[in-house]
This record gives sequence, structure tokens and C-alpha cells, in this order.
Amino acid sequence: MVDLAVDFGMINADNIEQLKKINEACFPVTYKPSFYDDMAKKQDENLCKFAYFNGFAVGAICTRIEAIPDCPGRNRIYIMTLGVLAAYRNHGIGSKLVSSVLDYIESEKNGKFSTVDEIMLHVQTSNVDAINFYEGKFGFRKGELVENYYKRIDPPHCYILRKEISR
Amino acid sequence: MTTTTTAAADAAFIDNNPQAGQGRPLPKKESDLFKNVVKFYESKQYKKGIKAADAILKRYPNHGETLCMKGLIVNAMANAAVVFFAQQGGGGGGDGDGAGAGVDKKKEAVELVKKGLMMDMRSHVCWHVYGLLHRSSQNYTEAIKAYKQALRIDSSNLQILRDLGLLQIQMRDLHGFRDTRLKILTLRPNSKVHWLTYAVAVHVTGDANGAVGVLDSYMDTLDKDCVEFQRNFEASELAMYKNWVLAESTTTTTIPPTGDAAAASVAGQEDNEPNDGLGGIRKALCHLDEIDHIVVDRTGFLMTKLSYQLQLGQFDGAKETVSSLFERGLTEDYRVHGAYMCALLKCDKATCREVEKLKGMSTLATLRPLSEDERAILLSAYYGASGGGGGGEEDDGFAKASANGKDGTINGDSTTTMSGLASTFPRSMAIKRIYLTLLSPGCNQFKWAIDQYCRRQIIKGVPSLGSDLSSLYLVEEKLQAGTSYEFTRYRLAKDPIDIKAHAVYSVLVELVDAYIVSLESDGTFPDDTTKHPPSALVWAWYLRSVLYEQAAEYGPAISLINKCIDHTPTAVDFYELKSRVLESGGDIQLAADVVNAGRDLDHQDRYINNLATKTLLRAGREDEATKCIALFARHEAPVEQNLYDMQCTWFELELADCLRRRGALGRSLRKYMAVIKHYEVFHEDQFDFHMYCIRKVTLRSYCKLLKFEDELWGLPIYGRAAEEIIRIHLSLIANDANAKTGDEPDYSGMTPAERKKAKNIARKKKKALTDGGSGSGGGSDTTSKNMNAKNGAKTKSKPHAIDEDPEGNELLSLDHLDEAKKFAAVLVRHAPRRISAWALQFDVSIRRGKVLLALQALFKMKSIDSDDHGLFSRIVEFSQYMSLRTSQSNSAADHVLSSEFPKLMNNETLAGFVKMAMEAVKADSRSSLPMRIAVARAMLAANLGCSTEAASLILSSKLNVRGVTVESCREALAFMDALGPDGNDSKNQMMMLITTKFPFAKDFGK
Repeated sequence: MVDLAVDFGMINADNIEQLKKINEACFPVTYKPSFYDDMAKKQDENLCKFAYFNGFAVGAICTRIEAIPDCPGRNRIYIMTLGVLAAYRNHGIGSKLVSSVLDYIESEKNGKFSTVDEIMLHVQTSNVDAINFYEGKFGFRKGELVENYYKRIDPPHCYILRKEISR
Repeated sequence: MTTTTTAAADAAFIDNNPQAGQGRPLPKKESDLFKNVVKFYESKQYKKGIKAADAILKRYPNHGETLCMKGLIVNAMANAAVVFFAQQGGGGGGDGDGAGAGVDKKKEAVELVKKGLMMDMRSHVCWHVYGLLHRSSQNYTEAIKAYKQALRIDSSNLQILRDLGLLQIQMRDLHGFRDTRLKILTLRPNSKVHWLTYAVAVHVTGDANGAVGVLDSYMDTLDKDCVEFQRNFEASELAMYKNWVLAESTTTTTIPPTGDAAAASVAGQEDNEPNDGLGGIRKALCHLDEIDHIVVDRTGFLMTKLSYQLQLGQFDGAKETVSSLFERGLTEDYRVHGAYMCALLKCDKATCREVEKLKGMSTLATLRPLSEDERAILLSAYYGASGGGGGGEEDDGFAKASANGKDGTINGDSTTTMSGLASTFPRSMAIKRIYLTLLSPGCNQFKWAIDQYCRRQIIKGVPSLGSDLSSLYLVEEKLQAGTSYEFTRYRLAKDPIDIKAHAVYSVLVELVDAYIVSLESDGTFPDDTTKHPPSALVWAWYLRSVLYEQAAEYGPAISLINKCIDHTPTAVDFYELKSRVLESGGDIQLAADVVNAGRDLDHQDRYINNLATKTLLRAGREDEATKCIALFARHEAPVEQNLYDMQCTWFELELADCLRRRGALGRSLRKYMAVIKHYEVFHEDQFDFHMYCIRKVTLRSYCKLLKFEDELWGLPIYGRAAEEIIRIHLSLIANDANAKTGDEPDYSGMTPAERKKAKNIARKKKKALTDGGSGSGGGSDTTSKNMNAKNGAKTKSKPHAIDEDPEGNELLSLDHLDEAKKFAAVLVRHAPRRISAWALQFDVSIRRGKVLLALQALFKMKSIDSDDHGLFSRIVEFSQYMSLRTSQSNSAADHVLSSEFPKLMNNETLAGFVKMAMEAVKADSRSSLPMRIAVARAMLAANLGCSTEAASLILSSKLNVRGVTVESCREALAFMDALGPDGNDSKNQMMMLITTKFPFAKDFGK
């Protein structure tokens, strides 16, 4: 499959509904309104963005900076959602979204993100495609298993995937 | 207003005025004070002005000019106060006070000026001020009279002359305007503006030769090295204007006889200056060469040249001009293509003019059918001699594969090289689009070309592709059939039934179905190996859904568009289409929900926001709609106020429709009236241009503006508003008659004398109501129907006058028949090709008992569309009306009626006429649903057949006929309802047909 040329665009209060549409189409879980309310607030457009193809948003990535528990002053980038509409998958759009965030972190690792040590996410244990995607393409490593992370889907367990930032 | 510059100076003039001793002439001190009053007025220092005026009046309380000036200042302050309060907005309780104070002040101003004038009738200052006062309350006729009176006293007062001229052109007193401007020019012959204005004034009276003379005289006054002869904007505009006027001029005296070398060399090789009415154009074409070096509007220059060349039959020259235009980048301008085709086919003058007026993507090829020879000529010019030139597009890789073996040669002299426009301008979309119109829809080449075109647009993702292609559904129509002038023109098929039967439609359906199969299986187009992105499939579905929509197949359209939404739920266009299909399919509520969901995708998209507003209003959800539109309105003022200020007519019309459907007729009328007022403002806006345009020498645009303003009341939006106003008033008359409240007397049963009396009473009632709120001096001039409605001088003052009556009770209390009559008269005068306008003119006239006007309206309708169902039912109505009418003594009218009306009925009796219509309907399997309903009604009215027979006329359509919409189906049901128990069976059958045709229809049968 050929890669599709995509543009990135910011997520804001005016177009938040498109994120909702993409997420509803991509994920088995439903995100709370508060998730979208937060996303609608002014976000760093390098960390949260849409991928546009041919004029329409067909995928989105949402990440945030959060503190690493028990490590005062140290932070990580947490990938909350990464979704591409089914019809547009296998065209390299997800990779482009992830790369663009990773590249941004890399470029700022000694500046804005000097306190950031790793990038991490949760992935459902059954989601082999996603695990292969992160491990194979971006060098994430499978971490601990979190039991009963999800409430309404089966299996309810997830792995943590993480990638350390080398300095 | 700087209109009284000279007033102070002139006031010092001494004449033997009987007011001598009353301060005439004023002593030095007061005379200086008076000059100050004028100065203060002009610099808008009104309070100081009043103070100075009071100082004079203290010594000379009866000094007329001071009283007038004081009145003028008070008037200006009143206007300013109203504007001020209007700008405060808010709609709160304070407004009434502000506006009220303004009205009081205005009264005071009028009294002061009148008193001043009485004191000094021989002062031109007083008359001038009196005129200015009238002008400020839009009472132009009175103002002109006052100015003329002032000029009788001081005939060479430049300022008053100028003011008079302005009003004359505004009121289109063209000859008066010309005379006034001549006077000004005579007084100040060294001003360019005065020369130009006089030239325009002569031109607008229709005297093109005279205008040329004026312009020539002006040019003669200039030095040869003057800036007017150099290349700059003003000189260029002036030259092009002169050229324009020249083209309109005639050549009886001025053109030299044949043999004049200069003229003959340019004006055409073979012509010997025949007397064909083209002399002006020949001269203008020569003149173009003379001004070539100073004209900066190169496109305008070339377009003008092209038009002249075509009219003169200089086709080779025209082709060269077209080449220059294409080189300038006008390849996407369909007007140029239209002209090019005329040149290629050597069309006659009339056809060239017709093509020149075409709009949008229309060209000669979509105006009338082309012969095979003509097609061949055009194809060779556009795509080289061998037809399948589309293969020259290097970027369309897929084109090659499918092109193989499909391009049949269409003419003998085929050359192998690509020589047409398509190869010269490979990136021009217009040329690709025009190719489709040059081929006959039956041939393989057409299928190939439209295939390429669709593929390209689907890959790009062009939402408008479906409507773009719909302009290819052309059907031939014979005009003036049966006469020796018979000719054929293309008409666009719009009804789903006709579209479905169209050859182009079948080609499209076949193509797109094949695309979908192929794209669904492996992402390629048929007979092609290139894989396309997922968007290609979704746009193919989308196009197919649009095609279903065009054929009124709502069920399949919805299932496909749902697939699109599932595929790409972030694409706003899909929601738009779904909403549109739901709306025509009968579920307006869901349509509104869907478009609203689409709107939520992007709150910064004004287009979808407006669409959502419109659909919500159609669904009767006024509050939601207002909130929706408010997102894009300014927030200082209430939304409706803001949209009024923005002259947002589409919203006001939709809101008015919504209110009308709900029965809130007063508020609805107010909204329709708001649209009418906008048009009055558009008309008023001319004032800004009379002086400005001439100063800037944009004379061509100015003349076009004057023409536009003349045609203003014929524009469709105005027509919609006016028609609905008429309909509401007519329905109110019917209501009143039903209720028999006696509130609105039924004039039709009265003798003329009684009617006049009753109307006078009604008018007095009305006057008492309106006088409370307006300060207008009662412009009673019937020629300017817009005068009465106008109140404040500045537009800003108007909305608040309206807001005092939010429910529109004032409008409801007007004399309904008078109002309806007024608007119908405007419509038929300015939009005489609008069949619905004549229909309403008939409805109004018959209620007024004006049978001859009604008869005229019927004949007009017949001349526009003799198959119109509204015409048919009105002929039946008229015939019934006439049979009840007792012949009156007015024998001339009766004579006309008895000799003319039978022509409308084909000299048949009513029964015979209806029978003919019945047979005509039965004979044409597509005859429209509204026509069937009209004939069914007429059958019952004429006692022809039973109700089942009448109903069967409708049922036999199976709804596979023209004119099947939710509305017409509703009307059909209403007809069956009216049949009572006899109609139950028919009604049930009808319901079954409707549910099949409109699977989403919700509220039928309720």
C-alpha cells in the first residue's frame, strides 16, 4: 500500500467533534465528555493533532505530559489516543502521527522537555497489531501487565508500552 | 451636507424685500453671525449654530433665513439623535424616548422652516432650506419643487443646481437632469466633472450621438500634452466610456461616405459601409485602435473589441482577439469560449449577442443544438482534428488504457498531431469541461470523455461534481413553434422524471456503478491498474448518491450516503447531502438534525452554519435557528437587529416563511417587509454614487449601476418577498370574509361609489395608525411607491421604528387589498417574465373586480408558459366568475371580454375546456402532478365525472410524473380529503404511493 500524503492540523474547541467521530469509529471504549473538554482547551498542537487527507481529518493522536509517580520533578509523555479511520489504515498515517510527536520530543529533549524521561501508553493485551506497531516501528518495549485496566471491554487487561528518551 | 456654502454670501445680497426693517438686509454684526450659523451647520457644531441663530432672532425674531437655518439645524440634530439611540441598541425601554424626542424635534424643525419661509418667500435661501428638509425626509418630489422655486429667485446658484441635479437623476427625471447639468456646465465650463456629468446626462436620455459630441467638445478644450491623453486610469476609463457611447451611436451624418481609407481598412474588408445599423460599432472599433495606447483595462478592451468584431462578422479578427484573451489567462472564462465558438462557426449577429449574455458555464454549445459539421469544426479547434484528444493529458495515466480503441474518428480530415486548445492549455479545466458539451451524448467518444472527466474529479474529491454534470442534462425545445420564426434552444431538464430519462444520466449511472464495483474490490478504476486512495471510493459513492437524489430515488440515496458517513465521518459534505436528501424525501426534522450534526464538526464553518440555520427554520425550529445564526453574528445588538443591519435577506426570507407556516402572520409580514426595505435602501444607496463615480471617472460602471437600479424591483429575492406579502394579504382577505367580522369590507359587492367611500374610511383609519410613528411629510406621489414606507433619513433610524411593533400588528391592520395591489403592480411592471407575478396580479385583480386586468394577467401567463397549471386553474376560476357576474353597463369592457376570453378557452365551454385538459393529461404519461390536481378540481367544478374519476386522474400517475414533491403530494391528499367519505379509498391508495416514493416522509395524512 502506498503511503498517503497527510497534513497535520490542530485540535480545538471548534473542531473537537471530529476527534469524537474518529475516536468513536476507532476505539471500543467511549471517552468521557471531560476528556474532550480537556482536549478542546488550548493544547500544544505538536502533541495533539489531526491528520488530514484530501481535506478531511482521517486520524488523530492525543498525548499529554504527566508526572512520573514517585519521581519528583520527572515527567513522561503519555499517548492517550492514536486512531486512524478504518478505511484509511495501512497507508502510513498512524506512523506519521507517532513520528511527528516523537520527532518533536527529540528536538526539544534538551529544552522544553528536559524533564521528560520516557514516552508510554496502555494497550489492550489482545491488540497484537498495536503492540507490533509500537515495538516494530518505534522501538517501544513491552512493560508490566496491568490487570483489569479496562472496565467494559474484554479482555480487560493491558500492557504498558514505553520508550525511553536517550540523552 | 455642504449644501449651503454660498448661502451666507448670498444672504448679504440686497433687494427690495418687503421684509426690510425686519432684518433685511442684516446689519454687519448680525450678518456675520448668520455666516457663522451656516459655518456651524456645515461643521456639525449644532449647539453653537442654534446659539448664533438665537442671537440674531433676539433682535430680528422674524428674520426668515435665520429661522430656516435654525430649523435645518434642529432637523439635523433630530436625525443625529435617532441615529444615536439606534446605535445604543439593546431594544430596551429607553429607545422609545429617544425616537420620540427625535419625532418632536423633527416637528419643531418643520415648523421653524415653514415659518421662516412664510416670512421671506423671496429668499432663495429659505426655499433651498425647505427643499433640503424635504430631501432629508425622502420626500424628493417636494424637494425638487422647492429647489426649482429657489432657482427662480437665484437662477445661477451652483449649489442649488447641483442639489437639484442629484435629485433629478435619482428620480430619473432624465431630461430635467440634462437641462440642469447644462446650466451648471454653462456657468462653470472649466470643470472636468461638469463636462463628464453633462455627457452622461445626455447619454442617459438616449442621445448617444449628443454624448459623443459633448465628450469631443471637452477633449477639444484640452492641450495635446495634457494628462487626459496619457496612459492612466482616468484617461483610460474616459476613453472606454466614449467608445461605449460611440458603439450606441448612429452614423447617419457623421460617418464619411464609402471610400474613406482609414475607416474601410479597419471596419472590414468586404463591407462598403452598408446602412445596417452597425455604423456605430464600426466607428467604435476604429476608435478602439486610436485609444489602444492609453487603455489600462486590457481585458475590458479586448472583450469590447471581440464583441464588436463578432457583431461585424470579422471572424478572423475575433479569433485573434480570443487568442490574446487566452494568453492573458482568460481560458477559464466561458464568455470568451462562447465568443470563440461564434467566431469559429461564423454566427449571425443576433446569436453572438445571445451568447454574450450567457452566464455560468454556458456557451454556444449549450445554447442550441449543433449540427454535425458544427461539432466537427469546434472539436477540431478544441481538441485537434482527431477527436480523442483527451489522451494528451500526461498526468492521467489511466486515461491511456481506457482510451484504446474508443476514440472513433469523427471527421474526414483527421490529422495525427494534437493541435487544439487542449494541447495549448493542458491545465485548463474549462476546456476539458467544454469538450463534454461538444460531443453528442450518444457517441462513444462522449462516454470516453465524460469517463475521464469524472475519474479526475473523483480522485480530486470534488463535491460539486454531481451538480456540475447536471448542467449537461439538456433537452431541445422549440420556441415560437408553428410560426415562421421557429427556432430551437436547449433547456435544462430539472424534473427527476426528465433527468432519469436523459441519455447523459444513463451514461453517468452506468459509469459510476462500474467505478464503485471496481474501487470496492481493489481500489482501482475499471480497466486500469493504478491504485487510488480510499477517498476515491467514498467520492464515487457520493456521486452515485447525488445521482439517486437527482432522480428522486431517496431510499438508495440515503443508504449510499450513510456508507459515506461511516467511511469518513469527519466529512461535512456528506452530512450536507444527507440532510438535503432527507428534506426532499419528506423528513425535515431529521434533515435539520443531520445538518446540525455536520455543523458540529467545525464551528468555524460559516457555510454549514448558515445551512443548518436554514434547515432548522424549515423545520420550524426558530429558537434553535436563531441561536445557530447568532454564532456568526455580532453580539452588540440583538441577532435579528444585527442581521437586519447586515441586510441578510436569505435569513429574513427563511424566517418569514417559517413564521408564515406557523401562522404568525404579523411577524412574518414584518420580515418580508424587512427585505423590501433593504431593496429600498439599495435604491437609496445610489445617492452615494452620482457624484463619486463621475469624480473617479468610472463612467461605465456608473451607467451599469443606473441600469441595475432601474431593474432592482425585478430581482428574484425582491420578487419572493413581495409575492409572499401579497399571498399573506390575500389570505387575510379570505379569512376576514370567512369570519365575516366586517373589519375588512368586501369591496367586490359594492358599487364603485360605495367602494370609494369605504376605502376612504379604511385609509383614514390606517393614516391615524401610521402618523403616530413617523415624521414623514406624507409623500403622496404614486409613481414612487417606495416613498411611503420610508421614514428616517439614515437607514439606522428605521429598525427602531419597526421594533416598536414586534408582532407586526401595524402591518396586519393595513388595507389588505391595497397592499396586495401595490406590490402586484410593482412586480408585473418590473418582473414581467415572472409567471407567478402575473398569477398574483390575477388573484388581486379578480378580488378588486377588475376583470380586464385579470384577463390581461391570464394572457401574460399564457405567453410565458401555456402549460402552467396555475394558468389552467385560473382560467377555470375566471370562467366561473364570469358566469356569475351580471353584465354591467360598461359595454366596452364587456365587448373586450366576450371577444378575448374565449381564446383562452380555445373557444370551448367550460366543460369542453376541462375535458380537453383531461384528455391532454391522460395522453401524456408524464404530465405533472400539480396539473393533474388542477384538472381534477376543475372536473368537479364543471360537474364532469364523479369524485372517483377525478381522483383517478391523480392516482394513475403512480407518482412517476413531473412535479412530484412533498408539497404537491400534500396538496393531492388535501384534494382527496375534501372529497369527504367518497375519497377515503383514493386517499388510502395515495398514501401507499407516497410512502413508497417518500420513504422518510413523517407527517403525511395528519
